[in-house]
Amino acid sequence: MSAIAPLLRDVTALRAAIAERRVGVLEVVDHCIDVIGRRDGELRALREVYPERARRRADAIDAALAGRRDDPSAAGLLAGVPVVVKDNIVTDYGTTTCGSRMLDGYASPYSATVIERLEEAGAIVLGKANCDEFAMGSSTESCAFGATRNPWDLSRVPGGSSGGSAVAIAAGYAALALGSETGGSVRQPAALCGVVGIKPSYGRVSRYGLVAFGSSLDQVGPFAHSVGGAAMLLQVIAGRDERDSTSADLGVPDYLQALDDRVESLVVGVPVQYRSDANDPRVAQAIEQAVEVYRGLGAEIVEIDLPLTDYGISTYYVIAPAEASSNLARFDGIRYGHRAVPEPGEVLEDLYARSRAEGFGPEVQRRIMLGTYMLSAGYYEAYYRRALQVRRLIAQEYARAFERCHVLLGPTAPTPAFPLGGKADPLSMYLCDVYTVNTNIAGACAISIPCGLADEGGRRLPIGLHLQARPFDESVLLRAARMFERATDWSELVVAPSA
Amino acid sequence: MPTTHAPQSIRSTSLRIGLEVHVELATRTKMFTRTPNVAHPDYFDAAPNTLVDPVVAALPGALPVMNRAAVEMAMMVGLALGCEIARFSKWDRKNYFYPDLPKGYQISQYDLPICGDGAVDIPGADGSTKRIGIIRAHLEEDTGKLGHELPGGRRYEGSLVDLNRAGTPLLEIVTAPDFGCADDVVTFAQELRHLCRFLGVTEGIMQRGHMRFEPNINVVIRTEDGREFATPIVEVKNLNSFRSLRGAIEFEARRQVEAWRQDGRTMGPGAKSTRGWDDVREVTVLQREKEDAHDYRYFPEPDLVPVVVDEELLAAVRGRLPELPIARRARYRDEFGLDPREASALVEERADAEFFEACVESLIELRGSSVPSSQGQLVAKFLLNAGAKRANERGTTLAGLLVAPRRVAELLLLREEGIVGPQAADAVFGLLCEADGDPRAIAEANGLVQVRDDASLDAWVTEAMAAHPKAVEDLRAGKSSAIGRIVGHVMKLSGGTADAKAVDAKIREKV
Repeated sequence: MSAIAPLLRDVTALRAAIAERRVGVLEVVDHCIDVIGRRDGELRALREVYPERARRRADAIDAALAGRRDDPSAAGLLAGVPVVVKDNIVTDYGTTTCGSRMLDGYASPYSATVIERLEEAGAIVLGKANCDEFAMGSSTESCAFGATRNPWDLSRVPGGSSGGSAVAIAAGYAALALGSETGGSVRQPAALCGVVGIKPSYGRVSRYGLVAFGSSLDQVGPFAHSVGGAAMLLQVIAGRDERDSTSADLGVPDYLQALDDRVESLVVGVPVQYRSDANDPRVAQAIEQAVEVYRGLGAEIVEIDLPLTDYGISTYYVIAPAEASSNLARFDGIRYGHRAVPEPGEVLEDLYARSRAEGFGPEVQRRIMLGTYMLSAGYYEAYYRRALQVRRLIAQEYARAFERCHVLLGPTAPTPAFPLGGKADPLSMYLCDVYTVNTNIAGACAISIPCGLADEGGRRLPIGLHLQARPFDESVLLRAARMFERATDWSELVVAPSA
Repeated sequence: MPTTHAPQSIRSTSLRIGLEVHVELATRTKMFTRTPNVAHPDYFDAAPNTLVDPVVAALPGALPVMNRAAVEMAMMVGLALGCEIARFSKWDRKNYFYPDLPKGYQISQYDLPICGDGAVDIPGADGSTKRIGIIRAHLEEDTGKLGHELPGGRRYEGSLVDLNRAGTPLLEIVTAPDFGCADDVVTFAQELRHLCRFLGVTEGIMQRGHMRFEPNINVVIRTEDGREFATPIVEVKNLNSFRSLRGAIEFEARRQVEAWRQDGRTMGPGAKSTRGWDDVREVTVLQREKEDAHDYRYFPEPDLVPVVVDEELLAAVRGRLPELPIARRARYRDEFGLDPREASALVEERADAEFFEACVESLIELRGSSVPSSQGQLVAKFLLNAGAKRANERGTTLAGLLVAPRRVAELLLLREEGIVGPQAADAVFGLLCEADGDPRAIAEANGLVQVRDDASLDAWVTEAMAAHPKAVEDLRAGKSSAIGRIVGHVMKLSGGTADAKAVDAKIREKV
């Protein structure tokens, strides 16, 4: 096995190896492209790979580093670090499809702010990762270009919607990956694939160039094999962007400097609602063990009551589809994207209707219809306005909880990875996000880190520990997560089988 | 047909009109992105689809960012219309599909507009002052344009979309239904255009669609038996000239009474309809009945933060508000004794009004102390004659002649002192438009200084009287008007430099 594979799991070590010229960036990129070539036929995590562009950038960074042996940091925080990007974040090279026939072949003339920041920091984008169509789903099965597989068990889903990004980390395609969240789309696949995924506070990361799903909930989030790697990626992409009015005008703390410092007098809140009977017993057990790890680290464990937990999914499935129904109106076949071939006698309305019916898959159509209905005259008050009221209550409930604890602890998902096609009923799929949606609704931040392996007929399936913190308290969140990571060996144990 | 509304039973009718006005704001960049705005004078002739970026074209991932300048312009208009400026207003999405609407929604302000509850007074057609209530004024973005002609005018089979106008900031001003006749509506519309131009928020060029009007019209019919009937409200869309605005209202005033005679329909829920104006046939045409109106599914725009106006911003915008045309015209009448025509002419352009006032100030300053009213009249008359003539010739405004106000004052003083005559003053002003200089030096260099020495006058008068024996005879016979011909001749001989008063006296003396 290549010496590079373990480096991809430890970005700090990878950076040191690159800076000290123990390993060439081109060598790293070649390794990644080789792994992708060998594995992606069955995993189908990437929709598009940019080997030439990646190698050119690798060469350029190698040359720059060779010229600046004295000051390797000049090449950027992520110099030479290979990254994959979810297929709903636009790049001015290749195509961006959002996993939809609607955008098959769509080439963006501009790059997202997060892409600009990544590349300024020296990262190398290897390719675009598969996702559920327009990020609507929790299994990466609704992608128009084929479902992505979980590297721990090819018959199972990787979670979603950022499934391709999570698999790219778990299967060793890249050191870091970008996904996006609207209700758990980074954390849930991170949990199901055994990697780390962060949902930053709403406004922490620019959404400019992230194809909108639910604008008031969407955030770009990092994946890595370790808390440190994810923190490094967050460091690079976080911060105010003049092109996104909803990005927070707040300074970004140095997440890396104090990452290994323990949170003084850490108080861990465990909501009673997160200890539900609906949880898989193996998940429940792993979470109780995690509680004990924190207790062992000297943390105070407090019980928290979050009675509104169960209202999260209903609230989310009003707000997100309502916003989506409007956000996706631009895909009308007029300026770009799929356009139906006109039939004789058809009028403008037919062009719209058929282009959209042909371009969008069933889940996207379902949510557009739901959202349109809920914003309609006579229903707005009963659904959308009511949902906004509940949203405020949920945010207040979170604010109260965070007066009593630094982080909320629970499972990221109620079960480990489920079989492909295992949740054909939309509602059962929606319930995958029961523990994650409220973070987005409240605008808080959260992380999923590996905390166990469930035995499933001889195969092992990862379990994710979910920590949430108050909005813009990523520093505490990351340090609390890092405490757990250091105190356990899950980071080493949870490595997906390589074939 | 029911007899209750038979034609002969109508005793009187009265019109009731409310007006919506769309004003394209001439910000340098669009409402929600930094791409140039087609309503700005620098970009009006941009080639189709050149004022487009990812936000305008609604590319995936693009996000709007509010243009502060547009908000401040909206506040300025709001203040000028006596509106309350909302400390907190927000953006909403108005959803509908159309090829000229790239996002599939228009960003607008639904329930919390930036300006609310104002009023303006206009001179009514009946001689009274009419107070027109302003219900609200809100900001939104314009749509693109659909066309069927290729550049050069060739016809194209399908539809062409030009997105240059998409995203231009629009201020939509909604009045109360306070108008009773087309004249008052047109007066208001003209005053509003004047006001907006004065504030510098639009060029107000109607041909370019900088302002569009949508009157809501109905008629209250009183019958002989003392009953009242209100006809269903009609909204006429997209009128872009004062002529069509007047035409549409006057046509509706007749059509609605006629329609009521025919079908007896009155105002009520679902009875509102939308009509367009046919400029050629000069009639309104039904576009749609409100029953099949769009459901726009308004909801708060999640990509933008609310607009918060603090005291500091409000004070800053208020501080930039100039004296408005109506007030300024009144002051010119009261302070300078100008007649309404003079006052209106000087207030037409803000720069001209400011130029005029600067000239008056200079004159008062040069003269030491004096009554402003006489100075104002002097300056006004001179600018509206000598000045307006040069401005017309050059296709510019008074201020656009770029003559320094101090020079105008110096020149008027020379004239008053009799150093130059009226014709010479006019000529010196003409030369000042060419190049700056001391008016006295210019007059001297060009032989325009008034001649008053007795010998020269005597010679000219003698020659002129010899040339007009009939006039001299008439004058002797008591026809004093005959003197004009002789004076004219002297002026010709002197090249306009003879002092007309002295010439007059000299002729009378000789006769």
